[in-house]
Amino acid sequence: MKIKTFRYGVHPEERKELSKNAPIAAVLPGERVAVPMSQHIGAPAEPVVNVGDRVKAGSLIGRATAIVSANVFSSVSGTVAALEMKEGVSGAKCLHVVIENDFKYEEERLAMLTDPEREEIIARAREAGIVGMGGAAFPFDVKLSVKNPVDILLINGSECEPYITCDYRLMLERAEGVVSGVKLVRKALGAKRAVIAVEANKRDAFDALQRYAAAEGIETALVKTKYPQGGEKQLIYALTKRKVPAGKLPGDVGCIVTNAATAYALYEAVVFGKPLYERVVTVSGLAAARPGNFSVRTGTSFGYLAKHAGIASDFVKAVQGGPMMGVSMHSLEPSVTKSSGALLLLTEGEIRAVEPTPCINCARCANVCPMSLMPMKTDALILKDKTEETKKYHPELCIECGSCAYVCPAKRPLVQSQRLAKKLILNRERR
Amino acid sequence: MSENKKLLVTPSPHTGSALTTKKIMLHVIVALCFPLVAGVVLYGFYALFVVLLAVAAAVGGEWFYNLIRKKPNTTGDLSAIVTGMILGLNLPPTVPFYVPLVGGVFATMFVKMLFGGLGKNFANPAATARIFLLLAWGTQMMTFIAPIDYSTAPDAARLFAGFVSDNAYVTSATPLADIKNAAAAGAPGVDLMDLFLGNIGGTIGETCKIAIILSMIYLLVFRVIDWKIPTGYFVSVAVFSLIIYNEGWNFILPNLLSGGVMFAGVFMLTDYSTSPDTRLGTWIYAAGAGLMTILIRRYGGMNEGASFAVLLMNLLTPLIDKICLTRPFGYKKPPKKKADAGGGAA
Repeated sequence: MKIKTFRYGVHPEERKELSKNAPIAAVLPGERVAVPMSQHIGAPAEPVVNVGDRVKAGSLIGRATAIVSANVFSSVSGTVAALEMKEGVSGAKCLHVVIENDFKYEEERLAMLTDPEREEIIARAREAGIVGMGGAAFPFDVKLSVKNPVDILLINGSECEPYITCDYRLMLERAEGVVSGVKLVRKALGAKRAVIAVEANKRDAFDALQRYAAAEGIETALVKTKYPQGGEKQLIYALTKRKVPAGKLPGDVGCIVTNAATAYALYEAVVFGKPLYERVVTVSGLAAARPGNFSVRTGTSFGYLAKHAGIASDFVKAVQGGPMMGVSMHSLEPSVTKSSGALLLLTEGEIRAVEPTPCINCARCANVCPMSLMPMKTDALILKDKTEETKKYHPELCIECGSCAYVCPAKRPLVQSQRLAKKLILNRERR
Repeated sequence: MSENKKLLVTPSPHTGSALTTKKIMLHVIVALCFPLVAGVVLYGFYALFVVLLAVAAAVGGEWFYNLIRKKPNTTGDLSAIVTGMILGLNLPPTVPFYVPLVGGVFATMFVKMLFGGLGKNFANPAATARIFLLLAWGTQMMTFIAPIDYSTAPDAARLFAGFVSDNAYVTSATPLADIKNAAAAGAPGVDLMDLFLGNIGGTIGETCKIAIILSMIYLLVFRVIDWKIPTGYFVSVAVFSLIIYNEGWNFILPNLLSGGVMFAGVFMLTDYSTSPDTRLGTWIYAAGAGLMTILIRRYGGMNEGASFAVLLMNLLTPLIDKICLTRPFGYKKPPKKKADAGGGAA
C-alpha cells in the first residue's frame, strides 16, 4: 500500500511509547466538577440551571446562544453548587457551572435514533453539544451544514502531535463505533466518499478500522508519520492532491476534514443518545509517573487528573494538547473540556527551553514550513517594526504548526513572530 | 509535589530539536579537521601553524570588535573558529606568518562583525579575506610547495619547512596553470590520481579531495549543509567544463578535482548567511557559481576562479532570493487591477 503525505514538515521525537500501550481507563471525578460554559469556538453557552438544582450526568446545563455556539452538559449527577467565573485553559476567565458530585452517576439521555435522516443527524450534533475534538472545538453541526457539495469526507486519525495517543486508543479499542460515526457524518454531508487517514505508526489501529470500514464502503488510507500530517490543508493535499487556496476553506475544494473522536462522539449521541460530556484524554510527559489514556468527564480539573497519573518532582510545565500546538497553563486549576486531547506534564529536559540566539540564516525554517513560508524573514522584519514589509512573506497563511520553531538551531520564537505579524497586519487594515 | 508550584508558561511549540547554532559550528569544525590533517600530512607542520594563526586572529578579531563596541562577547558560538579554519585551509602551506594573522582579523572584524555579526554578513568572510590577501600579497599567496615525498623517510627540515625561510621545496607548476595553458592544446596534462589524493602543490586544505569528500559525507549525514549546493555546483562545473572548453570529457575531471572547487562547494558556498533561503534560488546560486568558476578559469587573468565565484554569488544572493521567492502553499497571485495602477500614478 502506498503511504501518502504532504510536502516538507518535521519529525519531532514521537514519545508515543509512553502511553500508547495503556488501554482507555475511566477516571471518575472528585467531589466537584467545574464545567466551563465556553468549551468551543464562538459564543459561550448560557447557563440554564441555578444553584441548588439537581442534575444528572447528561443534563443540559448550558444552552447554545448563537449559531456558532454549543450546548453544555453536566458530567456527573449531583447538585449545582455555584456559577462562578474561573480561568480556563488559555488563562481567560469564563463562567463555570460547579456541580457537587453525589457519586451516583445517574444519567440523562437524549432519545436514541435509529437510521436517522440527514437533518436529524445534524440536529442531533447540535442537541448533543458536539464540537471538533481535535483541538479547534468548532461546533460540529455548523461544519456539517456546509453549503458547497462535499465529495470527499476525510477523517483525521493521523494524530501527528507527539505524545498524544487518545485517538489511537479510541480507533484501536472502539473501531466499530468510530466507523459507525464516520457513516453518520458521511450521510449528514451527503459525501460520495469517506476516507479515514491513519499515520503509519498506528498500523494496528488502521487494521482495526479497516476491518469494519470495508463493509461500509469507507476507504482507509495510511499516511506518513510526519508532522503536521493532521493539518487540515496538509491532509487534504496528501489524500486528494487538492490544494485549499489561500484564505479559503476545505469546503471550497469539496472536502471536509473531521477528527476520529468527533465521529465517535456523534455515533454515541445518535445511537445511545449520549450528549458530549466525556472524552479520552492522554496524560503523558516524562513528569507523569503513570502515563495513560483516560476516559475523563468534562469539568474534571487537570490537577485531579494529574494526581491520578502521578506527578514527578521535576515537573516544570503543563500543556493542554500536544507539544507543538498545545497551550501551556500556569496552573492545573482549569477543567478538562470537550477538546482537551492531552495533558502533558513536562520536564526541563524535554522542553529544551533555551535563550534565543541571533538568526544564522540557515533557512531550516523555510525548508520545513508545510505552507512554504519564510518564517525567518517575518521574524527579522517584525522585530524591526516593519509590519508592512512582512506582508510579502504572507504571515496570514501561517497555520502555527510550530515546525519552524522546532527546527530552529538559534531557537528563535518564530511562531510567535508570525502571530504578531498577523495581528499587526489585521490592526492596520482595520484602521 | 504541590500544585502551587510556579509553572513555565510560553507560547507553542513546547519542544525543540536538539540542534543548536553551537552544535552546527562544532560539526563544521570536526569536518574541517579532515582536510586539515591531510594538509599537515602533505605539507608539514607549518601548515598546522598557519591554520592555528588564522583561527587565533579570527577569534581575536571578533573578540576585539565586541570589546571596542562594548558588546557582549560572541566568540562562544564558535563561528569565528570555523571562519579562521576555512581561511587557514585556503592559504598556501608556507605562507609568511603575518598573512594568516591579517587575514583572520580582516575576515571576522571587517567582513563579518562590521555588517552585524553571525548571520548578517553578505559575503563569505573567508572567501573575501582570501581575495584581499591575494591582492595584498600576491607573490606570497601564489607560492606553493610540493607535497612531502613519503617514499623515503622525510627529514626534519622537510617536515618543518616554512618555519625557516627556505625555498628549496617550491614548485612552479600547479595543475591549475596546467589546465589554463592546456585549454588551447585540447587536453590538460594532469594526473587525475595525483589531483584526487592531493599529491600536488596547492593550498593547505584544498588539495586532498578524499579528505574533502569525507567532510562532505559527514556534513550531509548530520544535515549541516544543504545537499543542493555541492550537488548543483559540481554538476554545473562539469557541464560548463564540457560546454566552454568544447573538448569533450577532457576538462571535466581536471576542473572538478583541481583548485578550490571541491573545498568551496562543501565549505564556502554552503555558508548559511551568504547562500539563498529559497529552494529555486539555491539551485540558481549553485549553478551560477559553477559557471563563474569555469569562465574565470578559461578566460580570466587568474588560474583559479572558485573564490571569486563564491564572492560574486554571495553578492547576488539577496537578488536571487527576491526573484525566486517561494510561493506559499495554495497561494495564487491576485490578478493585477489596471484601475489600481492608474489610480496609484495619479
